[in-house]
Parts: sequence; C-alpha cells; structure tokens
Amino acid sequence: MESSITFQFLMTEPNLPLDSSPAIQVQGIRKHFGHLEALRGIDFELKKGDFLSLFGPNGAGKTTLIRILSALTRPSSGIARVAGYDVIEADPNMRREIGVISHASFLYADLSPLENIRFYATLYGVEQAEERAIEVIEEVGLKARLHDRVRTFSRGMLQRLSIARAIVHNPSILFLDEPYTGLDHHASGILKEQLQALHTDQRTILMTTHDFSRGLEMCDRVAIMARGKLALWESADQIDPADFERLYLETVEQAQRG
Amino acid sequence: MSVYLNQVKAIVWKDFVTELKTRELFSSMFVFALLVMLIFIFSINLSIVSANEVGPGVLWVAILFAGTLGLNRSFMLEKENGCLQGMMLAPVDRSAIFFGKMLSNLAFLLIMETFLLPVFMIFFNVDLVSHLGPLVGVILMGTLGFSALGTLLSSLSSNLKTREIMLPILLYPLMVPVAIGAVRLTGQILDGKSLADMMNWVGLILCFDIIFISASIMTIDHILEE
Repeated sequence: MESSITFQFLMTEPNLPLDSSPAIQVQGIRKHFGHLEALRGIDFELKKGDFLSLFGPNGAGKTTLIRILSALTRPSSGIARVAGYDVIEADPNMRREIGVISHASFLYADLSPLENIRFYATLYGVEQAEERAIEVIEEVGLKARLHDRVRTFSRGMLQRLSIARAIVHNPSILFLDEPYTGLDHHASGILKEQLQALHTDQRTILMTTHDFSRGLEMCDRVAIMARGKLALWESADQIDPADFERLYLETVEQAQRG
Repeated sequence: MSVYLNQVKAIVWKDFVTELKTRELFSSMFVFALLVMLIFIFSINLSIVSANEVGPGVLWVAILFAGTLGLNRSFMLEKENGCLQGMMLAPVDRSAIFFGKMLSNLAFLLIMETFLLPVFMIFFNVDLVSHLGPLVGVILMGTLGFSALGTLLSSLSSNLKTREIMLPILLYPLMVPVAIGAVRLTGQILDGKSLADMMNWVGLILCFDIIFISASIMTIDHILEE
C-alpha cells in the first residue's frame, strides 16, 4: 500500500522570495547557555534550492543552529538571515518561508490528521485551509487515515504527517532535524522519496542527521559540526560516500582535540 | 486583524475538539470541585453558621482548586509532541496564543461552573435563581481574572520540572485580591444586595482583571521564548 504512493510536490510551487539574496546566510553565530558555549562562531551561506546535510556527534550544536535559524531561539551574537530576513526580528514573513520537521512531530495526539493540518494551515493564514490540508495529507499518502486519531499512528506515519504539516503553507526553506530518527527501513525509504520530491521542487533544505548514507544521497553540500563549530564544509561531489565514515571520525576527533 | 482573530479562534477550536474527544479536562475539574464541596459540607454545621456566610468561600475555593487542575493540563497539552514549538514556528503573534489559551480555559471553567452552581444551591440550600444576574456577573469577572493569570502562569510553569507544584504556589498569592473580592461579592449578593451597592469590590476585581490581562500581553512573548 505504502510503496504505491506517488509524490506530487512538483504540483505546488514554493513561496520563493523575489530578491536574489541567499536563502540562508549565517555570520559568526554564537550561542551561550550560561557557561556552556553551544555554538562558537558559525559561518555559511546556502543558495536557493541547495540541500545541506549537516552531520555531527550529539551535543555538537546542530539542533541549536536549527532552532536559531527557525527563530525559536535567539543567538547570543552574530547575524543569521533566512529568506532575507534577520532571525532576531522573527518577521512573520520569514516564518511563512520556513517549515520545520523535527523528531518531535508538533502534532496533537487526540486530533485527526485533517484537524491537525487544518489548524496549522489556519495559523499560517493559508486560504481554503481545509482543501489545502486534504491536499497535503493526500500528498504524503495518508488520505485513508484522514479522520483517525494521530495517537494511533506509527512513527513512520507521524513523520509523513509532519511533512504535511511543514509544507502546508508552501515554504521555500525546510529545516529537518534528524528526520530519520526512530524510522524503520521501509519508513525511511518513504521519507527519502518525499524529501527527494521536495528537493526537486527547488526548496532549500538543511537536514541534520546521523545516518551517513541517507544524508549523502540527496545533498549538494556536506558539513560536519563538532564542539559548536563547522569542522568541515564541502560540496557533495567532493565527498566519497565510501570513505565518509573515516573522514567524519577524523574531522570530529580533530575538532574535539582543538 | 481577521488573521489574528482566525488564529485565536483556531486555538480555541483546537482545545474544544480535543476536550470533546478526551473529556479529560471537564470530568477531572468537575469531580474535583464536587469533592471539595462535599468535604466542606460535611465539615461545616450549617445549623450554627449561615450558608450565605460560608457558602461563597466554599464555592470559590472549589472553583479555584478545580481550575488549577485545568490550567495545569492546558499547557501540558501544548508540550506533548512539542506542539507549542509548532505554534511558535507559525507567524502567530504570541498574544494570540495567550488569548486563544485564555479563552478556552475561561470557557472550560464557565462550563464547569454552570454544572457546579446547581450542586452548590442544593448542598447549601441557598436560592441562586433570584440572584442569578448579578451572580453570573461576579462569576464572569472572577473567572476572567483567574483564567488570565492562570494561563500566563501555567505557560511559565510548563517549562519547569515541578510544574504541578509551582503553578498553585505562584497563582494563589496573586489571586488573593480577586478571590477576596469574588467571595465578598457573592456573599452580599446572596444576602440580597445589588451590585450597585458594592462598586468598590466590583472595581477591585475589574482592575485586577485588566492588570492580569495587560501584564500577560506584555510578558507572554518573553515567557514563551525559552
């Protein structure tokens, strides 16, 4: 049933910003939590349509970076612009440009997929919220479960519904924080197909993951974070997937020594 | 403005649909309020003290205690699966989140009170029907202040490990002026006085309602941002 799903994200054009500024621009971002320095000066830029896979050990600062870029947390210092907007100002137009998929689903367990997605569509000011909610639920292959409680969903189905939630307002930038966490092989395959469809759609994607093969198979850029800094930034075609584990371990070890 | 109102409406609607499906909030609040009232009714000898003197205190203690249960649950619902973060990601003014949550808390409390008042009337053998108008006014004013402050403080305490303990510790001292005013007004209404004779208490409760709502609007942004 699930393998017969066809993905049709190409049918909807993302809300691409009109100006030619980079989709994501990060300069000297630092973040302190008391004495702990979670981010120690991050700099990078992503063009529209880029797909960055960000690797790094637990505690490297990947989630903190995504939280800053999605305006959930303020940086202690530095500048970050998303879709041309300063994240500190958290402009509503910036929020309309981003979608976030995390290991938490952000979904209400006692509501149905339709009720959940319609709720988020209304918050984003989407016109004809119900029609759009049904459309994206259909896109992620959950139309048959439209009225079931989300509480009864498997982890894989929850993650697919999270994608529907994240794209209901047609964002041009997606942040994916370890989206493969807890998914079995089959569910990972479905998620991969959906991400591919979103990437083909010219959305800018920043994904953090611990899964080397999943992370490398779609991205244009590869980065490794360790101890709150970018320890490696490479174009994906410069990376040999077969040798990536060695490169990763060496890079992280070197960063942790330094 | 219509987008803002739609967002507030969506939050209230979402809370109502959840409650209609689970019935957790209303049942727990109502049963708890009923139990509080039962404990008092068995511990008070109504042949010695007048029901009009002790009844209002018991009624408001039951409302405040049961309401605290509901407030604790209110933001816990948003914490489950990170839903509050999901709302924060959307282009929603933080005050819309506050008003949405406050209005749903207010509505749940008012529904609970609608069922509690007949029970109070029977237990304390007081005539509420002839004083219903002013009584509803006092209950509305008192519950509004409680919902506003309670929603703000439950959003604050939801980030704490000891949230169930912290909410009443923070809430009850600040609620004292409204609680005293509401108890006094309810008692005097049961004694047959009109609201016009008690404008000082009405003014006090309304002032605190305005203060609580204004303080919430001013601080909710900082409270919701971690």
